[in-house]
This record gives sequence, structure tokens and C-alpha cells, in this order.
Amino acid sequence: MSPLQLFIEYSVVGIAAGGVYALIALGIIVIFKASHTFNFAMGEMMMLSAYFFYAASVTFALGPWLGLGVALLSSVVVGLIIERVAIRPMLGRPFIAVVMVTFGIGAIIRGIVGLVWGPNELQIPAILARTPVMLGDIFVPGRTARAFAIAVVIVVGLILYLRYSRAGVALRAAAADAVTAYSMGIDVRRIVAFSWVIAAITGCISGVLMASVNTLTPHLGVVAMNVLAVIILGGLNSIGGVLVAGLIIGWLEAVTGMFLPTSFREITPYILTLIVLLIRPNGLFGARQVERI
Amino acid sequence: MLEIKGLEVIYQGVIQGLSDLSLKVPQGSIVALLGANGAGKTTTLKAISNFLPLEDGRVTKGTITLEGDNILKLAPHEIVRRGVFHVREGRYVFSDMTVEENLIAATFAKKGSQSRQAAFDEVYTYFPILSQRRRQMAGYLSGGEQQMLAIGRALVADPRVILLDEPSLGLAPLIVNEIFEIIARINREKKVSILLVEQNAMIALKYASYGYVLESGHSVLEGTTQDLAANKDIQKFYLGRVDEFEQA
Repeated sequence: MSPLQLFIEYSVVGIAAGGVYALIALGIIVIFKASHTFNFAMGEMMMLSAYFFYAASVTFALGPWLGLGVALLSSVVVGLIIERVAIRPMLGRPFIAVVMVTFGIGAIIRGIVGLVWGPNELQIPAILARTPVMLGDIFVPGRTARAFAIAVVIVVGLILYLRYSRAGVALRAAAADAVTAYSMGIDVRRIVAFSWVIAAITGCISGVLMASVNTLTPHLGVVAMNVLAVIILGGLNSIGGVLVAGLIIGWLEAVTGMFLPTSFREITPYILTLIVLLIRPNGLFGARQVERI
Repeated sequence: MLEIKGLEVIYQGVIQGLSDLSLKVPQGSIVALLGANGAGKTTTLKAISNFLPLEDGRVTKGTITLEGDNILKLAPHEIVRRGVFHVREGRYVFSDMTVEENLIAATFAKKGSQSRQAAFDEVYTYFPILSQRRRQMAGYLSGGEQQMLAIGRALVADPRVILLDEPSLGLAPLIVNEIFEIIARINREKKVSILLVEQNAMIALKYASYGYVLESGHSVLEGTTQDLAANKDIQKFYLGRVDEFEQA
């Protein structure tokens, strides 16, 4: 195989992994927009959802599809409980205080998952076919390709939904100016709850996808930290930017892994982010404030 | 009718915003609140729309009723849905959303059966310029157009009462006249009451039928706008007539 072919193959696999990054990032950004809170528990929400999927489909033997439905439903319920119990009382508090609460929630989820399921790797039922996908001469592992397709469809669907639906308008209105949003009759607290539902759904799907491509361990959520780079690169305010940024970060990780030792793989997203921020402080797609002088 | 009785507002537990304020806005009328900075005009509007808690203020005495129903304890978004729409001072359009998206946001306040498109068409009939700009970011509109959009959002909600805070703020006199002509038309044609707060007393007295003069949080003078315009104190303090006489 020629080096060029190898490079292309790495790139495709990397971009494919980036689709899931975009999905995770979207969950974080929607919450950020609705309540100016950074949800550091996103990784743990993903991981918990994957365990819900395992419990429903394997332990309770509901099969993969019903299991996925149960996992989605339980993830949404957990998301709403977190919002109601831990986030809503913190609204209006300093940013850092709310962020620390989300850190705490992450730690609690990790602890509970460790107690219930233990630290060992678990194998979730195969929902993604393993048959590789060939793009011309390029070989893409079957599960990676399918995870990418699912992630991108959901990301694009959600982006369009938030762009054109009435709920999307309400979310952006609440994000821009909560007081004015209230004066339009928008119940801002419900919008915040709605953002946690969206995050729970993207978290559940990305968690299950990650667990099917790799395996299920309590460390599954660590990947959400790489997604931080995606969000900063795309611009915190840009829902549409996450897709491109997710793909860029996925690609970059894979390509660095090809040329450099693996330890570099983990820092490249941050190096790229640093460079981008020096040139474009709002990220690649971050909104420049519209202001008329 | 919107009615306030014996209203007292306290900020941060100690600072008195309003004391024993009573006023009435009969259905279909334009009522003006006049007074100097800090007299409590905007506080009155915020007490009605229940935005006070957001600024650490609260109503400690009195009642606010809409058609006899107490609306004092309702959440801001519920008050809007009851038909009291607050157009805040400074307009506060969503600047990185389009004109049409701004109007869509206001549909959350809508209670009537009228379709969304019909409501938008009505806004565009009153403010044709907004129709041309419907796909533009609201942040790029001129000040006058932003004020039109802010009033347009109120129209979408189809309210019974519009609380209109300083619509003339920072606008050229010609634009102010144009906007007030449209406000008067909306009041006449849609039978919507307007509680108007306005620094520009001249224009407020011209368009309103009744007025209250606030000082240090309570009403010191009230009457039909004809009587108020003829009042010597009003002429001296709010219409600046003294200067005109001195110059003449």
C-alpha cells in the first residue's frame, strides 16, 4: 500500500471518528447556549447511557432495539433530573459554581457506575454491522463507518431543527437575552430543561456508538474531554460549527497517530485549538457580535 | 382594564422604588406616565410585567389586576400570555436573529386563534419596512426600525395592553412622529390599551388621553392630557416652556 493510500485511509477513519465528536459537542453546546453552563458531566452522561443500553439489552434481555429505546428514555429522565435537582437551583449563580456542580455530577455518575457494574470491560450487543465499507480502494471498518453515518445524520438533523424550528428560535432567544425571551412569553426554564433533553439524547447515542466501536468501560466518557477542543475550535456559540470542527479534530488525531507516537495524538487537538484561537478568538465559526455603530 | 392600587416596591430590601401608587388603564386608552429620571416610571412597568425579581426588587404592598384578575404573583411569561406585553426601554431586539425570527420568538406570547402568518402580515402592514428587511439580522436595522420591530413583536402577541417604555429613545424627531402615528393607529384599530412611559412629555401628552406625573415613586398629579398640558408646573418642568418665554 502506498503511503498516500495509507494517509487517505487514516484520514477517512479519523473523519469517521469525528462524526461522534460532533454529536457529543452538540450536546454540550446546546446546554451552553440555553443556560451559559458548561456541562463537564457530558462524558459521564454518555457512559451512563451506554451502561443503560447494556443493562436493558443484555441484563434484561430486551434485545438491541428495544434496549436502545429504554436507554434513550432513561437517559432523558436522568438528564431532566440533573437539570431539575442540580442545575435549576444554580441558575443565575456564577459560571464557575455551576460548572463545578457539573463536575460533581460527573464524579457521582462515575461512582455509581463503578458500584453497579464494576471496572471491567463489557461487551454490548452488536448493533452496527462489521462488514467493512469500501470507498474505492479505501477500506473503512464497518462499525466506524456506520457510527459516522448515524452520528452525522443526527447532528445535521438537530442542526436543522435548531435552525428552523420554533423551539430552535426560542432556544436562541433565551441564549441571547433571557429577560427579553421571558418578555416574549418564552418560559426560559423550560428551554433549559429542553437543552438537557437534547444533550441526553446526543449523549446516549454517542455513548452507545462509542461503546459499539470500542468496548464499554467506566472510562468511556473520557473522550468528551477531546470534544472540548472541538467546541473551542468550532466556536462556543456556533451550533453549525461543531460538525466541521468535529471532523477536523477526528482527522487530525488519526493523522498524527500515523506519523507520531500516540502521546502526541492526545495533545494535537489542543495545539490546533491554541493556534486557531490566536488567529480567530471566537473559534472558526463563532459568532462575531452583530452590532450597528 | 389594567388597574394598580396602592403599589409599593422595594429594591434590595431597603430602597423604595414606588410608594402607594395607584393608576388605571381603561381598555382601549393610551395612558402616559410622566416624570423625571428615577421617579419610578420604568419600575411601574416592571412591577406589572413582574421583571422586578430579576433586579432584586419586589412588590411589598398593593395589587395589580387585569380585568379584575390579580396578576401580581404570575411569572413573567404567564403575564405576557395573559395579554400584557412589555416593550422594554432600549428595544432589546435579538440582534443576531433575523427580523422574522424575532417575530417568531414573540409567537410564544400569542393566545388568539389568528394564524402565525396572518399575525406577521399584520405587522408588515403597520411597518412595511420590516417586510423588506425580514431576512436581515435585526442588529443591522436602524434604531427606528428596531423600535418598529420591538412594537411588531408586541403586535404578534395580540395583547390587551402594551407597556411601552421610552419608544422615542435616541431617535430622530421625524422617526419619533412616524412611530407615534403608527402606535396611535394600532391603539385605534386593534383596541389595545397602551401604558406609555416617555421622557418626551410633549409627544406623550399629544398622543395619550390621560396622564400621571410621578415623583419619588408616587403619583403627584393626574388628569386628562389636555388639563396636564395646560398646567403651569407641567409646562415649566416637563415641556420646557419657560425657556421659550425667556428667549422670546
